[in-house]
Amino acid sequence: MADVPAKLSLSIFDPTQPFIEKARSVFEFQVANNPVYRRFAFHFIPAGELPETVDDIPLLPIRAFKECNLVAEGFEPELTFKSSGTGKMDRSSHHVVDLDLYRRSILQGFSQYFNSTEFTLLCYAPGYSDNPDSSLLWMLQYLVDLDKNGQSRFLPLGQPLRSSNIKRAVQNDRQIVLFGAAFGLLDLLDLDSLKLPGGSHIIETGGMKTHRREMSKTDLRYKLANGFDVPLDHIHSEYGMCELMSQLYAIGDEWFEAPGWVHASVRDPLNPARPCDPGEEGKVAIMDLANLYSCPFILTDDRGVINEEGKLAVLGRWHSAALRGCNFLIDRD
Amino acid sequence: MNKKIDELQEAIEEWLSPDNYRLKEAIDKTVNEGLFSFPDVKYQLLSLKKTLKKGEFHRWIESSGADLSMQENQKTVLCLHAGNLPLVGIQDILAVVLSNNRYLGKLSRKDPYLSQTLLDILKKRDLLDGRWSADLEDFKDETQKADALLFSGSTESVDPVIDALKTHNLADDSTPKLVRTAHYSIALIEDDRPDTFRQLADAVLRYGGSGCRSVAMVVAPFGLKSKKCEFTDYVEEFWLTNPQHKKPAPSLYHRFAYNKATEIEQSWLDDFLIEETKMEPSESFILHWVKGDIEKLKDLARTHRDGLQTIYVTNPDHELPSDLPKPELLSHAQQPPIWWRPDGVDPLKWLV
Repeated sequence: MADVPAKLSLSIFDPTQPFIEKARSVFEFQVANNPVYRRFAFHFIPAGELPETVDDIPLLPIRAFKECNLVAEGFEPELTFKSSGTGKMDRSSHHVVDLDLYRRSILQGFSQYFNSTEFTLLCYAPGYSDNPDSSLLWMLQYLVDLDKNGQSRFLPLGQPLRSSNIKRAVQNDRQIVLFGAAFGLLDLLDLDSLKLPGGSHIIETGGMKTHRREMSKTDLRYKLANGFDVPLDHIHSEYGMCELMSQLYAIGDEWFEAPGWVHASVRDPLNPARPCDPGEEGKVAIMDLANLYSCPFILTDDRGVINEEGKLAVLGRWHSAALRGCNFLIDRD
Repeated sequence: MNKKIDELQEAIEEWLSPDNYRLKEAIDKTVNEGLFSFPDVKYQLLSLKKTLKKGEFHRWIESSGADLSMQENQKTVLCLHAGNLPLVGIQDILAVVLSNNRYLGKLSRKDPYLSQTLLDILKKRDLLDGRWSADLEDFKDETQKADALLFSGSTESVDPVIDALKTHNLADDSTPKLVRTAHYSIALIEDDRPDTFRQLADAVLRYGGSGCRSVAMVVAPFGLKSKKCEFTDYVEEFWLTNPQHKKPAPSLYHRFAYNKATEIEQSWLDDFLIEETKMEPSESFILHWVKGDIEKLKDLARTHRDGLQTIYVTNPDHELPSDLPKPELLSHAQQPPIWWRPDGVDPLKWLV
């Protein structure tokens, strides 16, 4: 049995295998080893049977990461990530059994777009040591540590981007990738930061709504592009969360593309088994096979839409409260 | 005002009279088109017959503190009626009538016939000035924007609604609006007597539990596991005479599967789900069961204050702190008086 996950964790990154084949193997592993997912999936797929299509795979609501100990039986977590939140009950916990799987997922996802030997990563975020629960900061720390030249690093918070930061980052003909939460990057602009040199890229990761401001993704992108003097097609987004081992990137626009071991779709909130048509809003569903030991098949509470190419746009949170009570619905009453 | 209330009372009597064939036709159409079930329509009309009385209108005006004699310039009030339960917008219609304003009514496509029979009588008797339709397009010849807007909806629906009204030139961001956003009610029961369980079943299941006055969370001194069989008997008794008209979406079964997976105590009733959780009620056809007492009730009401409509109790002596809604009797959950205040706001007072 111990060999099975080892083989699986290798095969999920194999680009020659169709996603459904890999997903079926992971589904089998989950049903055999994850009692929560087994009890859930049994209501949709009889014991001993496998899903015929990707759309048939049952999706566990993401709140399970808040309410259950989601870890395959017989495996000990190396680390536990927690989502941000105020109370204990508000926070998701993601137990990570195999950090190598996380490393591989991070690196393979990131290097699809950015070669770590050509780019210097500047992270405008608290250091991992300041928040050891954060999967995002762990990921950034890992990417920073990969830079053997030591040019990649965390920028000091509350200080503008200075010429010394830039000079050091672009040594050896490298280009800058500035990575940060959306509101953090706006804060950096407010601090009168210097413009970024030509060829630089910016990756923002969510956080559109803060106590200070709320703005659309389009406005944010324009603001970052103008503020840092970076072309709009060099403004990218990352979609990740504590509950996922993998990340999706939107390169130069607002549409996220899933790597080969991840499947993103949008589901009808009233019937999560039904994938929404392109253009139809629903709940974002993510199948992240790198979540092998926790739960890879997740229905999130994010609101999203898929385009004709199967790319995902994330539009905010899904508010279920609209579903009950006396509502006047302008287009559906 | 006395004369107006007398005339209104007569109009209501004419409307609810057994000889009102137009109302009978409207009921038939409503039921035949599958908009609502006959028991739901009948129950609502019987409730209105009890509550739409002269004395109740006087009480409404008095309790609102509204000085109707001060009303000089007639305003146009746009009422957007939700169609989740039959005749749900009747309070807004009567508030417009009593405040002598002009009524512009967007009737719900889910409930287009019933209120129209009342509106016709009110207009025939010169008690109501205005027009109504189930289609906003029919108001395109309105020359001026409405002076006020009344509707119920989720917080997220407000912007799309205003955008649609802007498109039809009926309202804009500056139009004063009374938006009711509460979407659930909570009850405290303190015993398992048959009357209590019957009242609870009615408060939860009437109209498929879809109204904001419907109980979506109950606090009880016992856990769900110990009483689910017993309570299910009362649920079945209720459904024998009031079969649930609207069926839940498949997402309810997904919820059931999730509860099984995470070992949340629950009772699956095919068309309804009872679960022992204290999360904010946000989805239809779910009753959240919480073991606790009045202190737990207060905690939950404060935690989920934003969406809370009414707090029900079975003991009329219970008082709650002033930051919480004044409790009502559970037996009145589905028969509110005409002067009740959705979201704590009296529409009559607001209009005046």
